[in-house]
Amino acid sequence: MLIFNQLSTYLYLALALFAIGLYGVLARRNLIAMLISIELILNAAMINFMAFNRFLAPHPAVGQVITLFIMAVAAAEAAIALSIIVAVYRKLKTINVEQATELRG
Amino acid sequence: MNVKLFGPELYYLLMALVFFGLSLRRRENVKQDYQIALALTGLGVVVTLLSLFQQGDLFYQAYKVDLFSQIFKFALALGLFLVLTISHNLAHIENRYHAEYYLFLTTTTIGMMLLVSSVELLTIYVALELSSYSLYILVPLRRGDDIDVEAGIKYLFIGAVSSGFMLFGLSYIFGITHTTYITEIVPKLGQLVDSPIGIIGLLLTLSGFFFKLSVFPFHFWAPDVYQGAANQVTAFIATASKAAAVALLLRLTALGSASGFSFTQALWVLAIVSMTLGNLVAIVQKDFKRLLAYSSIAHAGYFLIGILTLKADGFTAAIYYALAYLIMNFSVFLVINEVAKDGRDLKLPELAGLYRRSPLLSMTLILGIFALAGVPPSIGFTGKLLLFTSAMNQGYFWLVLIGAVNGTVSLYYYLKVVYAAYFVEDGGLPPVQLSVPIRILNLAMAAIIIGFGVFPDRIVNLAREAVKGIL
Repeated sequence: MLIFNQLSTYLYLALALFAIGLYGVLARRNLIAMLISIELILNAAMINFMAFNRFLAPHPAVGQVITLFIMAVAAAEAAIALSIIVAVYRKLKTINVEQATELRG
Repeated sequence: MNVKLFGPELYYLLMALVFFGLSLRRRENVKQDYQIALALTGLGVVVTLLSLFQQGDLFYQAYKVDLFSQIFKFALALGLFLVLTISHNLAHIENRYHAEYYLFLTTTTIGMMLLVSSVELLTIYVALELSSYSLYILVPLRRGDDIDVEAGIKYLFIGAVSSGFMLFGLSYIFGITHTTYITEIVPKLGQLVDSPIGIIGLLLTLSGFFFKLSVFPFHFWAPDVYQGAANQVTAFIATASKAAAVALLLRLTALGSASGFSFTQALWVLAIVSMTLGNLVAIVQKDFKRLLAYSSIAHAGYFLIGILTLKADGFTAAIYYALAYLIMNFSVFLVINEVAKDGRDLKLPELAGLYRRSPLLSMTLILGIFALAGVPPSIGFTGKLLLFTSAMNQGYFWLVLIGAVNGTVSLYYYLKVVYAAYFVEDGGLPPVQLSVPIRILNLAMAAIIIGFGVFPDRIVNLAREAVKGIL
């Protein structure tokens, strides 16, 4: 049996992507890099949905529809995130979070 | 399809269109916009009240209208209206953005209304994102120093990560149950919820709402956003948004009601850590809104006490406490907004001598603070009593004990606020002038806090009826 015709392959792939994304959000200090990491987390969820849909689901369309919705919502999220990042850059002249630390306590 | 069932949502959708039209005008008219907004949201409260007892399904059973959802829709409409009553001086939001401020408040309310009614995983996700994205925009709308964008970026990133977690959890739930309808998930999840994939899926799913409610691992945004956002926006986040989060947590934890030990155990730990952390860190705060942020983290723990009982009693108590929390938290924000008329962040020493500068405000403040602390005979006390008894009946002795100890610890910083308002001389701070509507609002809040604290039966019975629909 081929390795890419098994559910577990895709679940491990998604888990790895999720872990990389989570690591990226926590470790990177650049706002754009953090945004990309969040997209990785969403992609991991999408791969999960597609894999479950392909191998297990009785109805073939549900997982695909969910994935399409996630793509659209993620695009909206990226738009809002980028616009706020631009606002951060205009005010602080940097997109590095280490410099954005006025709120404390 | 019965359009009347979808009435409140349609009304708020039309309202959003009106505000969208207003935001397109080249010349702003602040006063007129405010009056329009106030009238429309006031009417919205009436609309949601009229549709309180509607029942039915919409959109292929993905959307359920029942007493549970309608109560929370009413609470959301009320929260929006109350926040707009204190928006008469939007000092920290530029005039040309006022219409957009109303627009995004309305869209986030629509998102939350859809959220409390949706019983299908994809619908829940899309509704949650609609309500979150509008708030992501509202937070950095504040003008002035740089803290607003910083708060905005923190809110956005923590929110996006938690919704990513939630989506990942949803995918596992979809994987093991092969369906996205909550009614079909419940029987299938019953056997699987104690398996690792089931419990991880369910906890990850809940994390999206833990973020909204500022429960422990997703609480980091709360202090910064509370301080960094404009006072009115903070008031909305602290009242309506919390009520919606409690509603969805109740709907989703009902999924785990078949589970035995491990699921409640996880919630148990989160409840205790949230309460303790929130209350201990609140002690050292100087900024009033920051203090309220930590108090909200602590309150998230109290909500979890009712939720993790997974029984009708606990859920009833959580609904009652969510409504009470909306009222008492709003009373405190009402005071903040009136004392800090220019929209600045209020420090605790600035409350000095409030009892002389404005007796009415100091009365609202003391009632709101005592309700938050759980002093009888306020609604806060009744709510805490219901929560703790429901947990005690399920045998969670240690949880209730730690909760009670936390309640005592929290008294310290709540009384610090009262001390600042009553026992410190004003030192030349000017008296606070109140307009007539604000005076009426103050009296109404005081009446509700005491009235429903002494006679909670009607609300409790309503909540009990509502719980029948979700368990």
